[in-house]
Amino acid sequence: MLDWNIIVHYFPFLAKGALLTLEISILSLILGLVFGLSAALGKLSRNIVVRSMAVFYIWLIRSTPLLVQLFIIYFGLPQLGIDLGPYISGVLGLGLNVGAYNAETIRGGIQSVPSGQQEAARSLGMSSALAMRRIILPQALRIIIPPLGNNFIILIKDTSLVSTITLVELTLTAQRFIGSTYKPFEMYVMAAFLYAVLTTSASLLLGKLEARTKKGSR
Amino acid sequence: MQPEKNPNDIVPMIRIEALHKSFGDLPVLKGVDIEVPRQQVLVIIGPSGSGKSTLLRCVNHLESPTSGKIYLDGELVNDTASGHKAFEKHLNRVRCKLGMVFQQFNLFPHMTVIENVMEAPVYVLKQEKERVRSRAEGLLEKVGLLDKAGAYPSMLSGGQQQRVAIARALAMEPKAMLFDEVTSALDPELVGDVLRVMADLARDGMTMLVVTHEMGFAEQVGDRVIFMADGVIVEDAPPKEIFSNPKEARTRQFLSDILK
Repeated sequence: MLDWNIIVHYFPFLAKGALLTLEISILSLILGLVFGLSAALGKLSRNIVVRSMAVFYIWLIRSTPLLVQLFIIYFGLPQLGIDLGPYISGVLGLGLNVGAYNAETIRGGIQSVPSGQQEAARSLGMSSALAMRRIILPQALRIIIPPLGNNFIILIKDTSLVSTITLVELTLTAQRFIGSTYKPFEMYVMAAFLYAVLTTSASLLLGKLEARTKKGSR
Repeated sequence: MQPEKNPNDIVPMIRIEALHKSFGDLPVLKGVDIEVPRQQVLVIIGPSGSGKSTLLRCVNHLESPTSGKIYLDGELVNDTASGHKAFEKHLNRVRCKLGMVFQQFNLFPHMTVIENVMEAPVYVLKQEKERVRSRAEGLLEKVGLLDKAGAYPSMLSGGQQQRVAIARALAMEPKAMLFDEVTSALDPELVGDVLRVMADLARDGMTMLVVTHEMGFAEQVGDRVIFMADGVIVEDAPPKEIFSNPKEARTRQFLSDILK
């Protein structure tokens, strides 16, 4: 059975690992939104160079495993003289990864806004950028937020992969204590519990955000 | 403007010259010439597929003409000579002076009624918000919807939405207004309110180019009526003539079909 002494003793240390996991998740969420929005707009761009770059980025990320992407950034790039360290490599890798998935979600949301909205905005003299910012994106957001939230939940869980590039987040913290305690069951159950706390809190927050964007909707 | 001449006599508000528009291989407009003098209401009627909506959408360049020229108050609208970026800026400027109302209203659903009306003056013309608000309230009063200022479009009937859309276009203080079958998506009992607002606007001296199936409106409010078919103007006459004594066989046929 569970060794409760171990749990009580090590829980605070794992919670600290969970804080780093949360920090990495939030940073790569922000990065993923920036990459995602840029790639979505890029894919909708009339400029063929911009469009090709966006298509290539999305294809590249979605057709390769995240673990390999992280290894290329952390272990591969130093060979080219680019040594980013575990923290930046992890956040960048996760951000790039979730960004590619976000891009398709955001693009779908933008395209689901009826074309009449764009026409009405342009007929009032709005530039295409202003129409996108004031008219199209706010409406797309309603459609985008639930699937983006999903991507974020997956991202939180995927952060466990950065334990392989020596970033001492929740999973690697647990692993390290297993080395000294020989209690893998307790350690991994605690880690799983803390991941569940993070993902569940995130989905509760997202539910609130979703409700807030629903104003005026039919 | 030349002070010694009355500009009304020289420069029409809207002038369309030899307008052609094709979608791929399909010609939709085959050489259309129209002038809308200041403060006049020109109504375009015709069967569906005759190109009348496309014509209207070419005027503010929601569709780009294949060839031909369009002038607003003497200024060339489709002035593409200056390159893509400059043309976009030019178009945005021209569109500020040319209000448009659509069949499907196209109100912004995430904004309240008054926010819809205030949006473009505040964010495009960068006018001061409180001044715009009082003007927007005046416009909503004019279309009979001041009490709905805080409502979202989804809470309004089609007729109410369309009147808000008219107020939204008027908030830019345009020189002319384009109406693209604005009552076609409305329940019959809601059409009257919208047409009344348009008739008021005409009486106040707004220059209007109106595509419609409402023959009563064309007859009573129009200064001139154009009958279009197959991408060309078949007949262009004052409403009395067109409705009581059409010269062209195609006009007669169309009118007898719809008035049956």
